[in-house]
Amino acid sequence: MDEKIVSMKNIVKEFSGVRVLDNVDFNIYKGKIMALVGENGAGKSTLMKILTGVYLKTSGDIYLEGKEVNFTTTKESQDMGVAIIHQELNLVQDLSISENIFLGREPVGKSGKIKWKQLYDESKQWLDKLGLNESPKELVKNLSVGKQQLIEIAKALSLNAKVIIMDEPTGALTISETEKLFEVVNELRSQGHSIVYISHRLNEIFQICDYVTVLRDGTLVGEKTIDELDEDKIIEMMVGRKLSEQYPRVNTILGHTVLEVKNLSNKFVKDISFELKEGEILGVAGLVGAGRTEMARSIYGVYPLDKGEILMKGKPVVIKSPKDAIKEGIAYVSEDRKSNGIVLGLNIVENVTLASLDQYVGKIGKINKSEEEKSTDSYVKSMSIKAAGTKQLLKFLSGGNQQKVALAKNLNTNPKILILDEPTRGVDVGAKKEIYELINKYKESGMSILMISSEIPEILGISDRVMVMHEGMVTGTLDIKNADQEKIMSLAVGKEVS
Amino acid sequence: MKKMKKALVLLLVLLLTVSIFGCGGNGDEGDNGDNGDGNGEDTAKKIGLVVSTLNNPFFVDLRDGAQAKATELGAELIILDSQDDAATELSNVEDLITQGVDLIMINPTDSDAVGSAVAAANGAGIPVVTLDRSANSGEVEAHIASDNVAGGKMAGDFIVAQLGGTGKVVELEGIPGASAARERGEGFNSALEGTEIEVVAKQTANFDRAEGLSVMENILQAQAEIDAVFAHNDEMALGALEAIKASGREILVVGFDATEDAVTSVQAGEMAATVQQLPKEIGGMGVDTAMKILAGESVDEYIPVELQLVTE
Amino acid sequence: MKKLSLKGRDWKSILSQNKPVIVLLILIVAMSIMNDRFLTWSNALTVLRQTSINAVIATGLTFAILIGGIDLSVGSVLAICGAVSAKMVASGMNIFLVILLTLMLGLGMGMVNGLFISKGRLQPFIATLGTMTLLRGFTLVYTQGKPISIFGSETSAVYSKIGTGYFLGIPIPVYIMLFVFVIAYYILRHMKIGRYTYALGSNEEATMYSGIKTDNVKIFVYGISGFLSALAGIIVTSRLGSAQPTAGSGYELDAIAAVVIGGTSMAGGIGTIFGTAIGALIIGILNNALNLLQVSSYYQGVAKGIVILIAVLLDRKQRTSR
Repeated sequence: MDEKIVSMKNIVKEFSGVRVLDNVDFNIYKGKIMALVGENGAGKSTLMKILTGVYLKTSGDIYLEGKEVNFTTTKESQDMGVAIIHQELNLVQDLSISENIFLGREPVGKSGKIKWKQLYDESKQWLDKLGLNESPKELVKNLSVGKQQLIEIAKALSLNAKVIIMDEPTGALTISETEKLFEVVNELRSQGHSIVYISHRLNEIFQICDYVTVLRDGTLVGEKTIDELDEDKIIEMMVGRKLSEQYPRVNTILGHTVLEVKNLSNKFVKDISFELKEGEILGVAGLVGAGRTEMARSIYGVYPLDKGEILMKGKPVVIKSPKDAIKEGIAYVSEDRKSNGIVLGLNIVENVTLASLDQYVGKIGKINKSEEEKSTDSYVKSMSIKAAGTKQLLKFLSGGNQQKVALAKNLNTNPKILILDEPTRGVDVGAKKEIYELINKYKESGMSILMISSEIPEILGISDRVMVMHEGMVTGTLDIKNADQEKIMSLAVGKEVS
Repeated sequence: MKKMKKALVLLLVLLLTVSIFGCGGNGDEGDNGDNGDGNGEDTAKKIGLVVSTLNNPFFVDLRDGAQAKATELGAELIILDSQDDAATELSNVEDLITQGVDLIMINPTDSDAVGSAVAAANGAGIPVVTLDRSANSGEVEAHIASDNVAGGKMAGDFIVAQLGGTGKVVELEGIPGASAARERGEGFNSALEGTEIEVVAKQTANFDRAEGLSVMENILQAQAEIDAVFAHNDEMALGALEAIKASGREILVVGFDATEDAVTSVQAGEMAATVQQLPKEIGGMGVDTAMKILAGESVDEYIPVELQLVTE
Repeated sequence: MKKLSLKGRDWKSILSQNKPVIVLLILIVAMSIMNDRFLTWSNALTVLRQTSINAVIATGLTFAILIGGIDLSVGSVLAICGAVSAKMVASGMNIFLVILLTLMLGLGMGMVNGLFISKGRLQPFIATLGTMTLLRGFTLVYTQGKPISIFGSETSAVYSKIGTGYFLGIPIPVYIMLFVFVIAYYILRHMKIGRYTYALGSNEEATMYSGIKTDNVKIFVYGISGFLSALAGIIVTSRLGSAQPTAGSGYELDAIAAVVIGGTSMAGGIGTIFGTAIGALIIGILNNALNLLQVSSYYQGVAKGIVILIAVLLDRKQRTSR
């Protein structure tokens, strides 16, 4: 057995009475890479935030190199050699590389003047170590996301970190950047650094990790060495059931073509054409930045079109605003729930009817509140939205329930076409399945669904066809029967698939 | 609970604040009110004074004069500030009526708009005396003011004499529509009639020093030749003086009101002259007249207060 | 467990909604103790009448602040509308026509603000700062700096009743104020546009994504603010019997104070007309009380400032505690 550098025992964390971590044990081994996996909301980030002093644990013990520690600030954990690199990078875009590396700990002389030469020289050393040949004076905003990631690592190394936690480091990287990152990570391991690697991408875990810890719903499912596992086993551990159960598929007989998009072009997308039939789910896959969301929003009237045509049931329609789109029977459930899907300051009823308020206006402009209540109640029941009542403000609801409200708001406009943009992002595993079941229900009722998702298993699990985008263009459309993860990934990075 | 407690503490602080400021004014006011209703002979007379603004030294002097006289005569004076807003003025008068004052002295913000306030006092049967600016409607027992037309003429005559009857002058006007501005301008222009003196610029600076400065700066840019400036009050004159000093030009500045700053300036040889109103006199005369009215004596409808020219 | 914490929140929200009411009640009680003239029927009517102008403006401003905006031009709109209406009255125009035209003028100017802010994409603060200065200038040009008397025609007598008249022993401006409160409450609570106002203030993007023309909502909201400023202009002009070129300057500050004391968030999305009504009353009573207590005018500003800060601090405390 390898030597433990960090050992967390019986960690419990409660947020206002709700237990989000329940007796979790977690180990990090010296000179090894520990993968930490689990669905969104499984408690990975919370666990790491406790380790780095962002959150205080409710109970449990943490040992670092055999000694009990209890960090209350990130500064303390940094000083003890534990560094975290967040998914959203914490770099100041308008400062140089070296200024970022030494932010807050700049070497200063007696007069308080920054010793620039020392700053640049030391930064250069770290950059060399990571194989970066950028000038330390280069502004961070001029670097690619992949390189920015490496700057974060340089920062962690310069802090003399023994333990480096990486949260979804490859989320926004290209393949070559990912490979470069892996080289660096391997190098760090051979130098004796210990690494926690959080990722949804199981293939990466098999590429570089030594151990795997799986969390589910705030509890520890197990810690295994990588040799004991394969992808299916990990997934089973993560979701607690077989993959086939996670994605309930229903087959319907496809109806007529409802939506036709022809040669859609604007500053985000180029020459997008596709068709959508009654009762069909068309999955849209692609990497972050492939233009999927922009395509959806262009159809929904948020972004103006330069060229192209949208036909509903064969008739061309003009959509210049979401209002037009809703009138034509198109609804859009946003990927960015909090910024444009729901209104946190309104209650459930007000959110559900927001896009369809015209239905409820009676004499002298008065909103018929009992009708509103009735509609909302039916959604609360059919979607099993968990809330203290229909008058509860959205900000007090969990992510999954917020998402259901967003869905309800759109369904209440009686759409023929439902565009779902990352419908299960930030939603916990249980609610995910409920959402899939809802989607299937709408599909059975004849609704046409365009589902954008970055989770390929999800796309494969419930779509009838898969459209893959890359750099604003459609690189291919696959029938679900001959689609698989590899083909989708190849198309997503712009490669031809035979 | 804890939040509630905190809120209560904050409210207590609020109460304290109000009561501290409240007591600062006049501690025994409450007692006076109790027995002051029925029988006014034994207790001090309560006189309200509504001043157009206390941001201007002139009206501060007016208030001080009134206060001094009230103390001398043993009257209680309640002073309220209208902050140059006619609606506030009306509210102030209403509040004085609520307090049951025996007489209200108003220094109006505007001669037209004060009508409603005067009418309100009339309605409550409270006699009204106006100070400095008159009221265009309502029943007023007496109006006490400097003779602004005479003062304006005094300034005009001085400029005519200094310039030898010919030259170019600038007139900085007060708040448009204010009677003081109208009358001073009228007196000033009547003095210029029949002379070779030409008014090359005539603009308002709202009786305000900062505006006097900026308006004069603009005029200096526009006019190559200026021999004298007449400002409807000293605040504007002093502002204009700063602008003139900065430009390095030699221009005669005549103000109005003879405030402390202006008199100092005249003595230092910077401003040429200022027409001295006697604001303290107006205030004092106001209280004097008020007491006479309350004692049942008859008073003149218009009581002019003398003016004098202050030169080096 | 869950139910209990929810109950606690309800209790807190009831308290927080009524917090301005508590401030108001304490003010009234304290004043009644400190001054025996305060709690009289006639003083109550005086306070209500004095409050009516600020209350009407603050109601309009509540809409603007609810959508996360601000309207600084209220005082200038009041002045120009007052002046125009005074001139129309003096010319002997039909009283209903005068009122209609004045209100439409205010509405129009408010909608122009709304256009600058929505279509022109200007910051509300900047846009209304601009129109505030511009309209004040217009007023001075229009009036030539002189007050315009409303007297001299048959309409005058009727017009002056709006601000000075009584009905069943209660001043007419008080009825106007109550009417405005009720209508504004109805709009915000029971009408589509009211719902959109809250939605827009809470999350503009999500509102737009819900198929709502947010530009139109903004134009409507600033239109209301202008409309009510014009109404306040009519009341002021009628009360004073003349339109002052400098009328209403600084009124935006008292109105903002009333809205904020009433618990409306400057960030938008949260607030009620009831709160604004209470806020306006607090400001009105404070002005009256400080006069009755003979607080020197120099200290009045200090006292008012402290009360505003305390009220807002109370509000903030509650909000961070959520």
